Amino acid sequence: MILYYLPLILIFPAAIISYKFNKTGYILTAIASVLFFIFTFRIYDYITYFYLIAAIVWIITSLFSITYSKNYGRWLSPLFILTVAGMMVILYSTNFLVFISGWEIMSIPAYLTVAINKKNDVEAYVFMFFSEISTVLIITAGVLSFYYTGTLNFVKINNDIVLLIFAIGAMSKMGLTPFMISEWLPIAHGSAPANSSAVFSATMTLMGVYGITKLALLSPESLYVGILFILIGIISVLFGALYAYISENMKSLGGFSTIENNGTILSAIGLFVAVNNSILRTFILVTIVLYAMAHSIAKTGLFITIGHTGSEYFSEINNIKDNENSLGKFFILSSLSGLFPSLGGLATWMVIEAFFMTAFLHGALGVTAIIAGSLIAMGEGFATAAMLKIFYFTDRGNKKHIKYESHIILLNGIILVLLFIISPLIIGRYYISGIPSVLIFNGFMIESRFSNADFGLISPLYIFILILIFTVIAYMVFRKPRIRVSERWNGGIENNEYYNSFVYSNNIRLILKKILRTKYGNNEALQTVDLFWLVMIDLAGAYRKISKYIAYKFMNSSISMYMIYMILAFVLIIIITSVVY
Amino acid sequence: MKYYKFGNKNGRYIGSNNKYDVYENTIASRISENNVITEKKPYEIYFNYGPSAGGLRESVNFNIVTPGETIRDITVNSHYKRRKINIINNDINTALLKIERINGFHAASNAVCFLLAIEDALDIDNTGSNNKRIIEIELERIRSNIDVIGRLCESAGFSIPEKQLLYLREKVTRIISDAFNHRYFFSANYINNVHGDFNKIRLNNVYDEFNEIYNGLLESKIFMDRLQETGIVKDINSSGPAARASGYKYDARVDSESLAYDGYDAYTVESSDTFSRFMVRSNEILSSIDIINKLLNKIGNDKNDGKIKNNSGEGAARIESPQGDIFYYVNIEDNRIKDLSMVSPSYLNIELFKKAVKNNNILTDFFFVWESFGIWVSELEVDFI
Repeated sequence: MILYYLPLILIFPAAIISYKFNKTGYILTAIASVLFFIFTFRIYDYITYFYLIAAIVWIITSLFSITYSKNYGRWLSPLFILTVAGMMVILYSTNFLVFISGWEIMSIPAYLTVAINKKNDVEAYVFMFFSEISTVLIITAGVLSFYYTGTLNFVKINNDIVLLIFAIGAMSKMGLTPFMISEWLPIAHGSAPANSSAVFSATMTLMGVYGITKLALLSPESLYVGILFILIGIISVLFGALYAYISENMKSLGGFSTIENNGTILSAIGLFVAVNNSILRTFILVTIVLYAMAHSIAKTGLFITIGHTGSEYFSEINNIKDNENSLGKFFILSSLSGLFPSLGGLATWMVIEAFFMTAFLHGALGVTAIIAGSLIAMGEGFATAAMLKIFYFTDRGNKKHIKYESHIILLNGIILVLLFIISPLIIGRYYISGIPSVLIFNGFMIESRFSNADFGLISPLYIFILILIFTVIAYMVFRKPRIRVSERWNGGIENNEYYNSFVYSNNIRLILKKILRTKYGNNEALQTVDLFWLVMIDLAGAYRKISKYIAYKFMNSSISMYMIYMILAFVLIIIITSVVY
Repeated sequence: MKYYKFGNKNGRYIGSNNKYDVYENTIASRISENNVITEKKPYEIYFNYGPSAGGLRESVNFNIVTPGETIRDITVNSHYKRRKINIINNDINTALLKIERINGFHAASNAVCFLLAIEDALDIDNTGSNNKRIIEIELERIRSNIDVIGRLCESAGFSIPEKQLLYLREKVTRIISDAFNHRYFFSANYINNVHGDFNKIRLNNVYDEFNEIYNGLLESKIFMDRLQETGIVKDINSSGPAARASGYKYDARVDSESLAYDGYDAYTVESSDTFSRFMVRSNEILSSIDIINKLLNKIGNDKNDGKIKNNSGEGAARIESPQGDIFYYVNIEDNRIKDLSMVSPSYLNIELFKKAVKNNNILTDFFFVWESFGIWVSELEVDFI
């Protein structure tokens, strides 16, 4: 028992130690994460896969932080480790109370990280505001759960309202539509260092996914809640990918990419909630877990890659091209683009398979699933364009590299490829088979199916081996490409200007200018507007207006108005109580 | 000068050279303009194209300010083609040889306009060669417009009509060669005279063949899509097909007396885009063939007996070249060139091109817009010394 909780016992002192000895703190966090994985992970128990995901991310970010956090003062390491500790509490929780405690332990150091590194006051407040909205809603879900089940423990519930309220709370934390700004604002404005951004983007949002998945497993099937999740998910996928593609701030790009990934996960959860076929539900559950795994690990890699550039904007980058960094980046970005040979490629395939298989259930769900599957595929296309932007525009110039960070980036990429290769080992046996007649032996092939007929087939190991064989053959035939670098011909004119990341993505700014409201702004640069941010500002403005009106009209220190207000409140409480009981 | 005088602005703007601003009826001193590109804004880049790059017929450089895809500003640097021509103090015939070679493709327009200015300066009656010169200019217009439309087809990736038009252009060139003993009218023009066998000019086949290609292009939705609403520009200071594509009846065949057309009415279109310029040029090919066919019946009685009355004087002439108004001013002293000035239609066309290409176009529209004006940089960058 004490071994089971040992990581938790280790990580809180690590936070204190790290104030003085931050390297030791990070190493202890990495050790605690390894132990956490060893003591909690159980094969084929899919909810424990979240522990594996979180552990991998914490290990990578802790190792990266050893060199990265040098420039960020003493407070970054304890706050970072406390945030991780909060997440660990969430993952250990078996009831709402512990979950909510973990949620706050995770969130409060996160505001502080943003506030300490602030460039403006706004980010920390926005971050806090949306986090607290999520806390309030999760508490509400806990109270309702207690009302329906008589306990605060996570037990089976016969009502889908708890899941719905909990999910809206978690969405606020995950930065999903319409709460997009909660995710990207602090990150985009550079108030969160890259290691914290990685943890916010990869694992803090993962806690939301974990919570919703956990409650979805305990809740009954619900077509309406499921379709609602799918809709919110799709809007998030499309807008997340779109805004990622046009972002000039690299961290903002990462934030929007997270929104896109979380949108896909929420859609898959929606499918899970709506489907009533147990085999298909299990396939969807594995899909959710693998997608979350791919997203979290690759997103960590993305933020590390961004942190490694030492810049926030593409225009500021001045790094030299480095093969190790490029290879790691290639696998990380392939994963985020949903391409092979990386875990993200497999997860994306599984998501689309899950949606297209659901079409065979017919009815409203079947139609929704096929449309949603197509739109998610489209969103992945946008995401590929956004990732190419990162790939091409994050190395040029001549700044010195920190070699250690390149090792971590490569390690992150290799983990994604390894997980892709061994994925048949962690996916339930029902979906694993082979076709020995064509030399794909049993155990090496993943099948998507929910009845006797196969729907789709894939063999990660064979894909990897084929890519490797063709690469080796190409290398043996053509050898190392002979590259001669020369000054480009510019029509005989001397001034050399380079194609930049903004120009790269300007096609979408122009094609979708009605949505993005593309125009030259005050600083005279071509600008776009985030619609969701505008709506939030409008809502906040309207709220302030109403509050002011109520304050002047009804709460204006007039004793008679207070008397009326109190009487009305009593009457309302009596009515509500009598209706409920 | 019968038709021109020095003074202030009077009538429509024709264009400028390094000395003068020329209007419909007057020649004014030049008010200089800057050809400076706007500062780029954050994230924008300067995109350089030319002077030595694929897709360009002449050496010209474009500096484009772009945030990606769209063109916010552009400068056209044509000075790579600058030539200084030793022509002052030449006798008229030597000068004519040089004028013909300023822009070989439009040698007839340059030579005829130059000679009209000389004839104005020396007060020579040139009515006897009026119709022959019109035939010559209209033949040149047919070939030039076929060439521009062919290049528009090339820009749109329409290889078959492009090759058909190249063939047709060659056919017209061979008709010119048969009639005038030179493919580009070299040495065909003299004071009050045109040397040529006008009986060899037969254009009915050209009319039918062009009409077929033209109608084929009008039926292609892809071709129309690329040209319509691309490079829109409507400017009061415009000339040639570009002006007539914006509804302005600007045409030296109508409003200049240097070369007398009989009852010609300019063809105009309103929409001001690349497609309109294509329409105007196509219709002018057909109307030029009509003009030639009518005049071929009339020239039999024309006599070239104008006598030279003076050996000194000032003269100016303006005619409608295929690209717009071309203007020559000469000052002759003892049959030698004392001063010479030329305004090319390409001057105004470049100004219009800059406005058109900035008007909500993307980089891929660039070639359609550029080719639709039929600009010849060689005419622009000429210094007579």
